Amino acid sequence: MALWFLRGLRRGIVTTGYPRRTDEWAHSLPSPPSFDSRVLTPRLVDRLEEVCPNGSLRREGGHLLLDVGSCTMCGACENAARHAVVPSGSFELSATERQHLIKRIPIEGSDR
Amino acid sequence: MTEEETVRREVAAKAYALFGRSLHIRTVDTGSCAVCESEIRLTSAPHYDLHRLGFFFTPTPRHADLLLVTGPAVRAMDTALRKAYEATPDPKVVVAFGACALGGVFSEDAFVHGTIDRVLPVDVYVPGCPPSPLALLNGLLVAVGRLEEKVSTMRFDRMPARDAG
Amino acid sequence: MRAVLTVLLIAAPTLWAIAALLALPARSFAVKRLSCVATAIGGVCALVAGGGIAANGWQLAGVLSANNVVGQLAVRAQPLSAVFIALLGLVALAGGLYAPRYHRQDPGVGVYLFCYNIAFIASLGVLVADNVTVFLVAWESMTLFSYFVILRRHRDGSVERASFLFLALGEVGFAMVVAAFVILATHTGTLDLARIAANSGQVASGWRDAAYVLALVGFGFKAGFVPLHIWLPEAHPAAPADGSALLSGLIIKLGIYGIALFGFYLLAPEFAWWGILTMLLGALTAVLGILYAMVERDLKRFLAFSSIENIGIILTALGGAMTFASYGLRGIAALLLLAALYHTFNHGTYKTLLFLEAGVIEHATGTRDMDRLGGLIRRLPSSSVIMLIGTLGIAALPPLNGFVSEWLIFQGLFQGFRIPSHLVAILIVVAGASVALTSGLAISAFARAYGISFLGMPRTREAAAATERDQPVIGPALLALATVALGLGATVVLGALDRVSTWVTAVNIHSRLVVPNFTVIPARTDFASISPTYMAVFLFAMGLVALAIYLSARPRAKSRIAPVWDGGLLSFKARMQYTATTYSNPIRVTFEELYRPEVHLERASDDPAGRSGHVHYHFMVMPIFERYLYRPVVTAIERIARFVRPIQSGDVNLYLLYIFIVILLVYVLYLL
Repeated sequence: MALWFLRGLRRGIVTTGYPRRTDEWAHSLPSPPSFDSRVLTPRLVDRLEEVCPNGSLRREGGHLLLDVGSCTMCGACENAARHAVVPSGSFELSATERQHLIKRIPIEGSDR
Repeated sequence: MTEEETVRREVAAKAYALFGRSLHIRTVDTGSCAVCESEIRLTSAPHYDLHRLGFFFTPTPRHADLLLVTGPAVRAMDTALRKAYEATPDPKVVVAFGACALGGVFSEDAFVHGTIDRVLPVDVYVPGCPPSPLALLNGLLVAVGRLEEKVSTMRFDRMPARDAG
Repeated sequence: MRAVLTVLLIAAPTLWAIAALLALPARSFAVKRLSCVATAIGGVCALVAGGGIAANGWQLAGVLSANNVVGQLAVRAQPLSAVFIALLGLVALAGGLYAPRYHRQDPGVGVYLFCYNIAFIASLGVLVADNVTVFLVAWESMTLFSYFVILRRHRDGSVERASFLFLALGEVGFAMVVAAFVILATHTGTLDLARIAANSGQVASGWRDAAYVLALVGFGFKAGFVPLHIWLPEAHPAAPADGSALLSGLIIKLGIYGIALFGFYLLAPEFAWWGILTMLLGALTAVLGILYAMVERDLKRFLAFSSIENIGIILTALGGAMTFASYGLRGIAALLLLAALYHTFNHGTYKTLLFLEAGVIEHATGTRDMDRLGGLIRRLPSSSVIMLIGTLGIAALPPLNGFVSEWLIFQGLFQGFRIPSHLVAILIVVAGASVALTSGLAISAFARAYGISFLGMPRTREAAAATERDQPVIGPALLALATVALGLGATVVLGALDRVSTWVTAVNIHSRLVVPNFTVIPARTDFASISPTYMAVFLFAMGLVALAIYLSARPRAKSRIAPVWDGGLLSFKARMQYTATTYSNPIRVTFEELYRPEVHLERASDDPAGRSGHVHYHFMVMPIFERYLYRPVVTAIERIARFVRPIQSGDVNLYLLYIFIVILLVYVLYLL
């Protein structure tokens, strides 16, 4: 209570400003992965597909299919390939269609 | 502006006209692990303060405009979920909340349907495990047409400029 | 006009006598129906006659037979008794219309209807008696024939005990009433009530005190105030529905009539403590009555306890009136007396209605246990409307009659500050507060009774199968109409009742009480005022406003009807509902000291998960008065009886010896 009070005195408004203004820490919450398509290779994607516990990552020919909806933001893919995967930092992921949450990411690198 | 986008804007405008700035939410837990519920509860904490945006929780679907469904739609909850849906007056919005509800964690088997949209017509999907309170606010605002849906234009093929800490 | 009323007043008992005779021998149902019609027409005659006499403030006197042994057997209908005569007429009218469908062709109904009609004649005799002998004979036959009425279902074991209780307490009360009359008659030297009333001022005050207390207790056994009330919750369930209606609508009111007769007519209310005693007894009765009613599951026992409560309210008003009169505040005394009479009439109306409806419920479902009813509003539609009106009336909700009379009682008691003695003023406030507590609890109790029995889902198969076919409707419906009319037409009723209180207290408060535009103002203009008529118009108008808002703001979209929201249960069971027992649990816990409940909880196993199989929960309120007041008396009498038993061997020779000894003793005494 005292903490809230002090914070209120210092910052004026305790409540978040969302949606007008987003808290700066909001982007550091767990979030779905973002991929660097230039360094993605088919083999790496196959490995990521194995690593992902929810089946949210799947290779379809020259594309990586990411299902944001079923992603639990566990960070397994990120741990597997730190050079290619980082958290996207995005939380405004609500979609009116399930299809909007399935992303096609081109695989631009090669395995050679 | 594409045709799809026009339709979406029209729908959003209609949703806004219907619900305005006041909306009552009934949550239905179809077998979630209760982390989603704890995040939902957090939205009414002072920091997120759901009520400032005109959203309220109500204990009965009779007063609700929006059904907030969590969990993978276990079959044991079929009757209860259907009854809650029928008891909610039209027009109503169904929000599937969390990765389970979107089919992320459980696949269809004898005990669960796997995703909510196999049971109910879902209007808004909120991903996350669990979705943060801000994600819920975003989802609710999208549901009533007060915010644009962002994820359809979002790309996940670039490293963000800012390194995540 | 007087002649018409006289003819009507003679016609009523004649018709009842005809009804009684028609009921007796006939085997065919048509003749019994004719008998019931005669009862009802007699009721109309009595109602009109009583109303006419009260509204005009007349006295109709006559002499049955003149001889020198018991004095003139004189009868006189005066305004005070006219109110009760009108009530008697109403009860008879409703009962007559109710009986044919209720009793159908049950065996023994002829004898029952005979006793029922004779009980009306006897009650009328009590009311018109102007002679101690007539009064006592009528009173005793009234008790006796009410006893026969209770005995209708004498083959049930409990009926025997209940009717015996009624008779035994009635006889004890009768002995006290006789004693009271004997005191007055010997000290005034006459058996005429009018002359006793005229000469009672010369009786020594100690004898007057004794007479009043004896009359209060004696009539109290009939009226049923605490602790003399124990026959009511036993006798009412035992009697058939119209018999219970007779008991609660009329017989207990005759006790009130007796107390009013002694307190205001035969003896002038000179001593404040008479009034205070009566008032405090009334307040205690009201509170205890409703508290016992609150935990009662049997519909008829519940209504019986509610009758006790209402007797308490009437007695409080009556005692208050006597207190004010003894301090010379005759205007307020007249107001309270008027309110007491009004409440008596009102209670007679809706309690008769409720008992008749309880009979309908019992016939339709086979039970009176509220926890075995439920959902009757769909199955007994007209009964549920009638019962609702009665319930609203007795719960004293505006604009119905119970509200008006209770409001007047409150207004009268609130004037307690005008009494110079602080102690008395405080006691009056305490009595007023008790009545306020009572009426608050009464609303809760009747919401429980109506809600549990009529709303929700049926709790048993019998309740689900209930139907209104062949159930009596007209009699209770007429009483419902009377309940509404007595509320909305309060100013008219008060005009008539004012003649009565004018006759009794010699103060006319009509000009102060009722202003021309349907408004009632007790005591002072600046103190309080209501208008039940305008209130009803206002409530109706508010209903119209709500309707208008609904019609204008109703959404144009097509409406969709969804099943009731039950929290997502797989199936909704009747036993998940709130029961009468659970409803009253907060009151039960709060007043545990009073109830001293005996709770038995039996369960098949102690599985904490709730799979305990059948659970039996039995709750019983300890009958304090039976156990600590009546039981010792009965035990003492039994002990004395055992002590004298040795001399009663049953041997004829021994009895001859006794007679011989007595004759010898008489001779010896004579010689001495």
